[in-house]
Amino acid sequence: MEPILKEVYDSILEGKQKIAAVKVQEALDAGISPATILDDALVAAMAEVGRLFEEGEYYVPEMLIAARAMQAGLLLLKPQLVKANIKSVGKVIAGTVKGDLHDIGKNLVCMMLEGAAFEIVDLGTDVSPEKFVEAVKGTGANVIALSALLTTTMPNMKATIEALKAAGLRDKVKVMVGGAPLTPQYAKEIGADGYAADASRAVALAKSLLS
Amino acid sequence: MNHRQRFLATMHYQPRDRCPILDFGFWDETLPAWKQQGLPDWVTHENAHTYFGMDYSLEHCGYSLHVGLRPGFEWKLIEDRGDTEVVQQEDGARVLRSKVRETIPRHVGHLLVDRPSWEQHYKPRLNPDDQARFPADWEQRLPWLRNPNREELVAIGGGSLYGWLRDWMGMEKVSTTVYDDPALFEEMVTTLADCSYACIEKALQSGAKYDACSMWEDMAYNAGPLLSPKHFKKYLMPHYRRVAGLLHSYGVDIIWLDCDGNIDALLPLWLEAGINCMFPLEIGIWADPLKYRRQYGKGLLMLGGFDKHILAGPKEGILREVERLTPLVEEGGFIPFCDHRVPPDVPFDHYLYYLSCARKLWGKETGLPAAQWSR
Repeated sequence: MEPILKEVYDSILEGKQKIAAVKVQEALDAGISPATILDDALVAAMAEVGRLFEEGEYYVPEMLIAARAMQAGLLLLKPQLVKANIKSVGKVIAGTVKGDLHDIGKNLVCMMLEGAAFEIVDLGTDVSPEKFVEAVKGTGANVIALSALLTTTMPNMKATIEALKAAGLRDKVKVMVGGAPLTPQYAKEIGADGYAADASRAVALAKSLLS
Repeated sequence: MNHRQRFLATMHYQPRDRCPILDFGFWDETLPAWKQQGLPDWVTHENAHTYFGMDYSLEHCGYSLHVGLRPGFEWKLIEDRGDTEVVQQEDGARVLRSKVRETIPRHVGHLLVDRPSWEQHYKPRLNPDDQARFPADWEQRLPWLRNPNREELVAIGGGSLYGWLRDWMGMEKVSTTVYDDPALFEEMVTTLADCSYACIEKALQSGAKYDACSMWEDMAYNAGPLLSPKHFKKYLMPHYRRVAGLLHSYGVDIIWLDCDGNIDALLPLWLEAGINCMFPLEIGIWADPLKYRRQYGKGLLMLGGFDKHILAGPKEGILREVERLTPLVEEGGFIPFCDHRVPPDVPFDHYLYYLSCARKLWGKETGLPAAQWSR
């Protein structure tokens, strides 16, 4: 790895937002391609953040400051990536299901997916099945990430999957689910394609669903 | 035995006639939903424990000095959005909440964002010497509080070292503050602890006899704690230790802490600091009271831990879970009830069935107040 990319990587891992932005700019100025900076520094660093999170080395604060540093770098890279016609690895529609206003888990998932070079369409909270269907039609996303915190809103995950079926879109998108009251078994029962216990595992799941 | 004696005997692993039968409470939507399924119209949150024949409500056993913000902020409606509304709460946070169903509100703005806002709005509201911290009827109730033979269980409020900060700043801001301004984070935690400590000390010095202390944190989610154990040890543990030490010096040896979510990584640290009772033990896909007892022994006291999913599921599963928990109930140090407030997706007749199983196996059907529904 180029020394400047290592510096970008380290700044993200340590959650140093300002340094990450400076180092990404230095990497661009040094003529390193935006795709290389993205893959070898930003995505690689966030993958390491995910690994450290799964191993209990990192917790939510460490994940948040790393994601913030990554986003500072990504902001500089984005125009370059568009110019170079670099595609994301997948497009994910994310939202908490109808009736659920709680978005902490969903936001963490979005941050980690963005750090893995996914494009995110964040529909926010309290999203009706119809809105998810419209978003799939309008964005051409290949994954939907549904979040629920409450046992009473979990059934709206199934309602969303049923709405996708009714609209003839179920085969066009993979559906992943997560949230405190969920279990892998519940995900199976409602016909989801996968369940992730946390934001880091959501990245691995999204990748596996698209592989 | 009266309720208080039974609770204390249970939590001290002493002989008692039976286990207390209680619950944490019900979602606002639950009782109306159950009224469509046969619950009498007159049942409310206030009297539900009587209707269901429970010993008492844990929610109603707190009486102490106010350890939180004094005065609170003005509650005000910021924006009406039809089914939802944005309001400013008494803790200064602005939240979007549903008007039609119970859900955890989404924080959309905070008054506490940095050191100037801390010093202007919050720090002055955490003055332990503010006379408004005493309940208006404190003097009149002191004889009752001092009576070692009173029948009622009374818990002193122990406040919060992290949970309130999370509410006041939002989860993301409090998380990044740990790194962006660690001195501010430490000062805020210390101020909260100082305020709690001083209020608890005043109450105990007055001769009030407390049976337990109740603290609130809510600093975990399904994947674990919101603060790393490293930071927990550095910033929070010294204060838990001194508050627990103060309580212990006055004979208060049951300190229960309310923390939802997966508490596995923090539980041993709380125990080490003297916080010895966990509540409401959300089960999720991680927890199990039997596992915790095997892991931590009798030093860990537990309240809650009955999986809400099971209550909503088939009745066979309810009986199976009541039976599975029975040996632990018989051992003591554990009072089971729903692992959070009972949600409305639990059918009324399932809840009655759960209570009948609980009364039979944990209550031994002796000495329980008559349940209205079983007459």
